Amino acid sequence: MPEFGVMLATFLGASVEWVEAFTIVLAVSLSIGWPRAVTASAAALALLAVMTIAGTAVLAAIPNLVWAQGVIGVFLIFFGLRWLGKAMARSAGLKALHDEAAEFATLRANTQKADFRAAWSIAFNGTLLEGLEVWLIVVALGVHTHHTKSAAAAALAALVMVGVVGAALRRPLARVPENAIKFIVGAVLLAFGTFWVLEALGYAWPFGEAALPVLAGFYLLGGLLLTILLKPGAAARS
Amino acid sequence: MKALFKTLFGSTRTMAVGALALALAILVLRSPAPFLAGIILPVCLLCSAFHLARH
Repeated sequence: MPEFGVMLATFLGASVEWVEAFTIVLAVSLSIGWPRAVTASAAALALLAVMTIAGTAVLAAIPNLVWAQGVIGVFLIFFGLRWLGKAMARSAGLKALHDEAAEFATLRANTQKADFRAAWSIAFNGTLLEGLEVWLIVVALGVHTHHTKSAAAAALAALVMVGVVGAALRRPLARVPENAIKFIVGAVLLAFGTFWVLEALGYAWPFGEAALPVLAGFYLLGGLLLTILLKPGAAARS
Repeated sequence: MKALFKTLFGSTRTMAVGALALALAILVLRSPAPFLAGIILPVCLLCSAFHLARH
């Protein structure tokens, strides 16, 4: 489970973030051209790569592995909670689904008014902020399981996939089931976070790492069931 | 900077409900029935996600 889970969560999570980053780069490219927009995005990706190497080195250098595991676990819990909560709210209709086409239209209007430097910054900052979540997943999941390279490869594979499809279509990738992906990734991140935090606190999980898929299934199914409970509230609000 | 902080830690509400669930799990771990922590923490975190979805 750890390596497969790490790669799956990273690939899915990264796909969602790269799709959002692609929308930003596409909108900016219409103002300053593809080469400049891609350069801004590449600069942000280079910074993220440096951050991944640095983050991995810092976490790997912590002598007390149990302490590091606990800290990473807490991060993953906060991160997973946010993704799962948001995905549940969107599934129930309490929050509008992320609309890449609408996002693109807004960005397009903003970048049309912006000068070269401002448009370049939008592409750079957009890629960096979306990529930060990918960085967090790669470093947090990869370091402790010693699968940082696999996680980074999964994130890169997602980047190549989004890049190739996006370049071929030259329009926002609005058909990606973003909410379903966030639901799954949120559940997997919470599973890893729960497992590592309790283990760091001295808890011995029954059946060891076999508890991970059980936890992920619990969060996924539990989240889906609770979404049903949220739906009447959403209907009453509308 | 605000966006970076939000990316890394989430909102104050996310941190509050997450911290509450963790505090409860620690209490259970120090109780006479520590084996329940493996059930209590996932249940509390799922409830936290439900709370975040509602707000």
